[in-house]
Amino acid sequence: MKKKENNFVVSFENVTKTYKISKGKYGLLTEMFSGTLGSVFNNEKNNSIHIALKNISFNIKKGDAVGIIGRNGAGKTTILKLISKITYPDKGSVNVYGKIGAFIELGAGLHHELTGRENIYLYGAILGMTRKEIDEKFDEIVDFAEIKKFLDTPIKKYSSGMYSRLGFSVCAFCDPDLLLVDEVLAVGDENFQRKCLKKMHSFANEKTVIFVSHNMDAIKSICSKVIYLDRGKIQIIGNSREVIKEYLDDQ
Amino acid sequence: MKNWIIELWHFRELLWALTLKEIKIRYKQTILGVAWAILQPAALTIIFTVVFGIFLKVNSGVVPYPIFAYSALLPWTFFTTAVSFGALSVVNNGNLVTKVYFPREILPFSAVFAAFFDFLMASIIFLIMLLYYKIDLTLNLFLLIIPVVSILLFTAGISLLLSALNVLFRDIRFVVPLILQIWLYATPVIYPLEQVPERYRFLMLFNPMTSLIESFRNFALHKGSVSGGMIFLSIIVSVLTFILGYLFFKYRERVFADVI
Repeated sequence: MKKKENNFVVSFENVTKTYKISKGKYGLLTEMFSGTLGSVFNNEKNNSIHIALKNISFNIKKGDAVGIIGRNGAGKTTILKLISKITYPDKGSVNVYGKIGAFIELGAGLHHELTGRENIYLYGAILGMTRKEIDEKFDEIVDFAEIKKFLDTPIKKYSSGMYSRLGFSVCAFCDPDLLLVDEVLAVGDENFQRKCLKKMHSFANEKTVIFVSHNMDAIKSICSKVIYLDRGKIQIIGNSREVIKEYLDDQ
Repeated sequence: MKNWIIELWHFRELLWALTLKEIKIRYKQTILGVAWAILQPAALTIIFTVVFGIFLKVNSGVVPYPIFAYSALLPWTFFTTAVSFGALSVVNNGNLVTKVYFPREILPFSAVFAAFFDFLMASIIFLIMLLYYKIDLTLNLFLLIIPVVSILLFTAGISLLLSALNVLFRDIRFVVPLILQIWLYATPVIYPLEQVPERYRFLMLFNPMTSLIESFRNFALHKGSVSGGMIFLSIIVSVLTFILGYLFFKYRERVFADVI
């Protein structure tokens, strides 16, 4: 390992990520054996390629709170997915150090047939917590999510607000080194949004946060640094006030 | 491979949690609940006893036909349940695969373990039947661990392979039930291996389930139609299937989230 890298929690080096949009029926079959065999059958016309990220490099230091902004389809979520190893780059390298708590989508990892209590344990385990850790944090999670009364109700009966509160709380209390948050603030009432922001604030003081949002006020209040993405490329990266101003001017 | 095992160990609590989830969800909102785990092999046993034991008079030797059938349907039901759920496990948990990181093999593994829970439940009936038919309970029962572990490995290997293929080709969903049905008739479950004409018998041995099922039955009911060499071979085949399935799964794993 290189010496310097310990300061970085996340480092992207010339990362390119493409998605193949297969149209041909046997596209997947040939993709699977890509290389010699694939090139024989692969008709380029059948596959269009969507470039989600184009040659991107950046570093995020420990303790940074970084916002990612950009229009829909700019590649924001792809960055989060690369950081959390859900998907892998086609070119370049992604390095991440430490435990990740990713909240990429509302309710991912929650199962609607299970009760609130069962879901806390399941989602906690998905996020890499041990049973003991969940036991210790259980009351805090329930308090934060404000679902005490419905703890033993299957969550298919929950309102969407309760759903997102539950998801966010488990994620926030799994004690990650790096918290990834994608657009949680689109749902939930104002009161809960304020609570989330407060939680992320206190988190940002000691750990690292990467926050994707269209809510510029929320980004401004939490993040010191912002990455502005445009069609898979980094437009600007820097001080949040300036970058946000630039972004709003472009609109 | 060493790294995979370390990571899997790190996520062992998740494997446990997802296995519990599988078991809970399968029987949620059913009236009979876990009893289904017992009813499935039991119902098949009754049907096969009537059709093959009474109508067609399949000769099961000294062993009464019901326990002859159940002793094979017990591991067979485990195999089919595990493979059917395992093959679909990655796609059915697509929302997890595209949103959260964890070693993906946990999904087929949890399907296999959940089916193993059913197997243990259904084993209780088997024990009762052994007592009812006054089959000697000897130390041989401990030897059952050999076919059971082999079947587990074989099943896990097949599930890994099919679940990875199913991500790309949803045809698997339709192929699996068909293959399992054919496979049942190609395995000495409802008929004894000895009833297969001798010159075709060697063909049966290309099917790994033949010696796995036969050795399970032999150890439980003290019959002697499988040789030590065959048992040894079935262990090797099971381990190889597991390793190949695992390798293939890991080779395809990285693109799961992009394709689902």
